[in-house]
Amino acid sequence: MLKNKNIILIGANGGMGRAMTRVFAQSGANIWANISHENSEYIEYAQKLSEDCGVWIKPLVFDITNFEAVKAAIMSIRSERLSVDGLVNNAGILREGMLQMISMAEARRVFEVNFFSPFYIMQLMSRLMIRQPQGASIVNISSRAGFDGVEGETIYGASKAALAAMSKSLAKELGRFKIRVNCIAPGVTETPLISGMSDEVLEQDKASTYLRRLGKAEDVANAAAFLLSDAAEYITGQVIRVDGGRN
Amino acid sequence: MTNIEKYTQAFIDAFSVDAEAVKTLKFQQIPAWDSVGHMGLIAQLEEQFGIMMEPDDIVDLSSYDKGKEILVSKYNVDFNA
Repeated sequence: MLKNKNIILIGANGGMGRAMTRVFAQSGANIWANISHENSEYIEYAQKLSEDCGVWIKPLVFDITNFEAVKAAIMSIRSERLSVDGLVNNAGILREGMLQMISMAEARRVFEVNFFSPFYIMQLMSRLMIRQPQGASIVNISSRAGFDGVEGETIYGASKAALAAMSKSLAKELGRFKIRVNCIAPGVTETPLISGMSDEVLEQDKASTYLRRLGKAEDVANAAAFLLSDAAEYITGQVIRVDGGRN
Repeated sequence: MTNIEKYTQAFIDAFSVDAEAVKTLKFQQIPAWDSVGHMGLIAQLEEQFGIMMEPDDIVDLSSYDKGKEILVSKYNVDFNA
């Protein structure tokens, strides 16, 4: 599905990021995989996958909230003079707490990671993609919390809604350059991000889906692979919910 | 190709105008140099000179001459080279 495509994956190291690394590589994509800090375990994981799948995976260590580091990483990618066929903004942080319990510093931090960093990355990356006659595909990982409202996720949900709104506007701006921009809004997905949620809450969540289960990281990774692929070449400006179905 | 030739060529490629006309060109003076054309021009300049421009500089680049000024002062492009 992604054979010979070169993809930038931001936030490759978490549960969802690892699943995306695997699914993209198994689909034939080469990957620049951003991780926030040196992580030999991830590097070995990527190395093994690249050998198994016959693709290259280049770990790029930088903090996405350090804009100078982001710029340097993107300039380094540009210097390789390869096409950049896709970008996935998957990095994100979750801070839960009732409204009165969230400090302004925490709120700003959530927006810094979940909104301003993807904004800056897309601002730079789109300028590389504009020059490519074949265009490109951008996939932003939002959340159902951005659309349904989730108690205790005021700031997280707001940041993810902002990311989706930005994606819709960018789809209009960049469509003329054959750059597609879509969002995925996962429901509760089995990754380390939900480790703080109680069993009771998880059971309730499971019961509230049509499919009666939590999402798997692969569910989201498969949707991202589809949106990156040519099979989705007429799809842009959309938010695809990967949440097991909900009212 | 010298740097000034590369710079001029970026405008020619972005707006399909001839080399002489380029030198007096200003933002929105011709239909091709609208906000969309501007994005294409910036992409060309960044590619030609291996730079990534800051948003303020992208906004300030409002003419052929102003662009030269910005590239010299902010991005160390030497137009004598």
